[in-house]
Amino acid sequence: MRGLLLAASCLVVSALAVPALAQISAEIPPPSQTAQGQVSVTIYNNNLALVQDVRQLDIPANRSRQEFPDVSAQIRPETVTLTGQGIGIVEQNFDFDLLSPQALMQKAVGETVTLVRTNPANGQETRERARVLAANGGVVLQIGPRIEVLRDDGLPVRVIFDRVPENLRARPTLSVTVQSERGGRRPVTLTYLTPGLAWSADYVALFDEANGRMDVQGWITLTNNSGTPYVNANTLLVAGGVGPGAQGPSYGRPQGPLRQAGTESAGRERLGDFYLYPLPERTTIANRQTKQVSFLDVSNTPAARAYEYRNAWLGTAEQPQSANTVLRFSTSRDQGLGDALPSGTVRVYQRDARGNPQFVGESAIGHTPMGSELGLTTGQAFDVKVKPTVERRERINSARWRTTMRYVVTNARPNAVTVDLMQSGLWGDTRIVEESQTSERRSADDALWRVQVPANGETVVTATFDTRF
Amino acid sequence: MRRPRARNPFLLLLLAATPAGAQQVVTSAAPDAVAVTVYREPNRDPDDRPDLEWLGGYALITETRRISLPAGEADIRFEGVAGGILPQSAIVRGLPHGLVERNRDAYLLSPESLLDRSLGRRVHLRRTSRATGAVTEQEAVVRSGADGAVVLQTGDGFEALRCTGLPEMPVYESVPAGLSARPTLSVRARSTEPVTATVTLAYLANGFDWQANYVANLSADGSHVDLFAWVTLANGDETSFANASTQAVAGRINREEVELEAPEAAPLTLTCWPAGRTHELPVEQQNVVAGSPMLRLGGLADSSDLLNALPASEAESIVVTAQRAVQEDLGDLKLYRIPEPVTVAARSQKQVAFLQQPNVQVSFVYRTRENPFNTTEPREASRYLITRNRTQEGLGIPLPAGGIQLFTEGEGRPILVGEGAVRDGAVGEDVEIRLGEAPGVRAGIQRDGDADEDDHYILSVTNDRPVPIRYEMEFQPIDGDQIRPRGARLARRNGKPLWAVTVPANGRAELRYRVVGRDGD
Repeated sequence: MRGLLLAASCLVVSALAVPALAQISAEIPPPSQTAQGQVSVTIYNNNLALVQDVRQLDIPANRSRQEFPDVSAQIRPETVTLTGQGIGIVEQNFDFDLLSPQALMQKAVGETVTLVRTNPANGQETRERARVLAANGGVVLQIGPRIEVLRDDGLPVRVIFDRVPENLRARPTLSVTVQSERGGRRPVTLTYLTPGLAWSADYVALFDEANGRMDVQGWITLTNNSGTPYVNANTLLVAGGVGPGAQGPSYGRPQGPLRQAGTESAGRERLGDFYLYPLPERTTIANRQTKQVSFLDVSNTPAARAYEYRNAWLGTAEQPQSANTVLRFSTSRDQGLGDALPSGTVRVYQRDARGNPQFVGESAIGHTPMGSELGLTTGQAFDVKVKPTVERRERINSARWRTTMRYVVTNARPNAVTVDLMQSGLWGDTRIVEESQTSERRSADDALWRVQVPANGETVVTATFDTRF
Repeated sequence: MRRPRARNPFLLLLLAATPAGAQQVVTSAAPDAVAVTVYREPNRDPDDRPDLEWLGGYALITETRRISLPAGEADIRFEGVAGGILPQSAIVRGLPHGLVERNRDAYLLSPESLLDRSLGRRVHLRRTSRATGAVTEQEAVVRSGADGAVVLQTGDGFEALRCTGLPEMPVYESVPAGLSARPTLSVRARSTEPVTATVTLAYLANGFDWQANYVANLSADGSHVDLFAWVTLANGDETSFANASTQAVAGRINREEVELEAPEAAPLTLTCWPAGRTHELPVEQQNVVAGSPMLRLGGLADSSDLLNALPASEAESIVVTAQRAVQEDLGDLKLYRIPEPVTVAARSQKQVAFLQQPNVQVSFVYRTRENPFNTTEPREASRYLITRNRTQEGLGIPLPAGGIQLFTEGEGRPILVGEGAVRDGAVGEDVEIRLGEAPGVRAGIQRDGDADEDDHYILSVTNDRPVPIRYEMEFQPIDGDQIRPRGARLARRNGKPLWAVTVPANGRAELRYRVVGRDGD
């Protein structure tokens, strides 16, 4: 690797020193030069970015055609706007007729090309001019009075084209025809939308269970898969997606991380409904790059461990099931992180006996307003388990059933724990006829028992439900 | 610009031709110390062995690196990190003045990217004569993108690469900036003066897994086992971790699906104009495929049977273990620490003992499970090894999930008599391990021919062993159905009726019962 890099940098130097070929020197750009000007990128969460590129262009008076290389390879061309002093737009074009040998040959039909044949015995080259008659399946040529198929005998033949048709391009190219009052160099601003750029947040939470505290660092993670680097870009991230997304209630994850939505405003820059996260300085976002910048660093915020188990209706487990391990904390100013959290993944670490942080689980969160209560399910407890059993199911009459449930909650930890035991699937008209400890009916569907389990012990909860089914 | 010197032999400092021009690149080739904590694949059943070709677990890798930073801004590149790194999870600590940003570049150096980045640049077109071997080189400019075709501009005009039938290839002058051999993690940091810092880099990486592997040696009377267990770690990554402080974590951990940006290294596929010739129809385009960047995990063929049952001789002499992994609590998880640093080599598996418990009290039970009115021919019962995870039984130790092999002595050698799986078991829990079916213990349900009515049944169990056995039928009645046994009592387990009986040696046992429906008929 070292040798390669060294060799590479030497080559760069030598390449610059070598005089270029006379015919083609004028257009060869030096390595790593970009046509981009002052670039500003605004990135949304939902794979969308707004790019503003201020380029210094030499625009002649009257009508001229300006090409814009080094725009996003995934540009949405219909969203392009170009503004500048004293210029008017005549038309905008997005050409995606790409230069390839096949296109080159097809556009050369009717034209004359040069053939260079190589004698396989002695390597001698002979040149002749030929007219391309057709390029369908194979290439049919007219050479003087003869008609032949290109390389029909399998011998090597170079085909040299005099020119490349104008509208064939190496990459999809944006061009704008402008009308200018005067000639001269001036800044023009190009803006467009492109997919391929996205961002999310990544959080590192170091949880100190003994003291009920945690330290949280937040990182903005942005990714560029747009096929183009953005050089020295002024970058702004918008927490939220624009455009219609998925709406309506989401089923299947009843116990999401957001337990109560907050109502506080964070001290961050805002625009309408969105929080804005500007990167502190200009940076180059390379193609296929994942870039992370710190945006949050909070120490010693209160956090607590909790256990939750939710049993499905008529759920019997033959083996005890581990309770979920939940990390609870607040994002409020007074009792928590004191910030709004853009959506992302929270990775939780705890120190082992030697004091080294070890990973203990992760959980995704959505955009979370400041002042929210969060409960992140990081995993399942090895030592805290619940064994639910349908003890009895009796039909009382044609319309009602009586179901007796028994929940054995065990704790192999050396300290007492509280387990939030939930029975779901109660629908509306289910009554709890009898229970060994008082439940809270959190919703029509759910009953909740806060079960105290002694150290290295077990607690049994029983309940009888009167249901319609 | 000052030109600082690398002070550490592991460090290399050079000035790269980056766009910014002034950026200094510091490369840290390898960690000085490393710790590896391996986590299981979250959704793997305890009786599924890890697939060494495709390990679904992961690891937390914590590296310590000594890095000499120059004054000013520098790009610190971390090489020698695991290939399965999840860049979003990286944590970098210890930089004296903090860091500006972290980057991970996945646009890799490949024939395709080399060509793509050379668009509009000068390359050398080299042709070799097949007849004379003479090499001619010509300067050319790449005029087309790499999406399947190359058009070059030479002094003669425009030509397509590899359409001529001549041996020809482009030769590049340099590697374009921003292309690296493998995805590289780097941080941009600033320092006011040259300084040597100890930097900690921690990250999660895919391609690891572990499980426990238990070996139980059954006593002659079948009432006790000597239990022994390995922590079996596997590293499917291409990176080795030498002298690593090594841990494994048991318990189920929540993971989110995160998109891992796959490195971009497409193969170079060149197409030409239609090249049909008179004698070959229909026409196919000429495809030249160069390079094969398929990244896959391989080369594990030899080790794939390591997770299988231990050779009998090894099981016998297993008592001697010089090193044992030590268990500690980590929040709600269990952490197993190998006390001395070990090398977790690339694409390898490692086993360290963690448990050795002689004289664990066990019993066997045979079970079947039927709907009470399902008449069946005699079916094989499942054999279970049963104990309780308490000190009274000789255990009382958390048992992480994994496979178990049961051996017994016979014909003067150890013989494998059962294989099963242990699930994550806390202290105090019942341990039940299903070992497979017993062909000589069978249970069937028949209509009771003696009775007049058709809701009378006989369950009969036969035992071909010369010892009495414990047998349990776990009835699975439909809601509301009741079983009325004659001359016996049924217990209840998991809310279902249970008939438990001792079947005499080379004998049989019977249960006669009625099934009564929900309306009492």
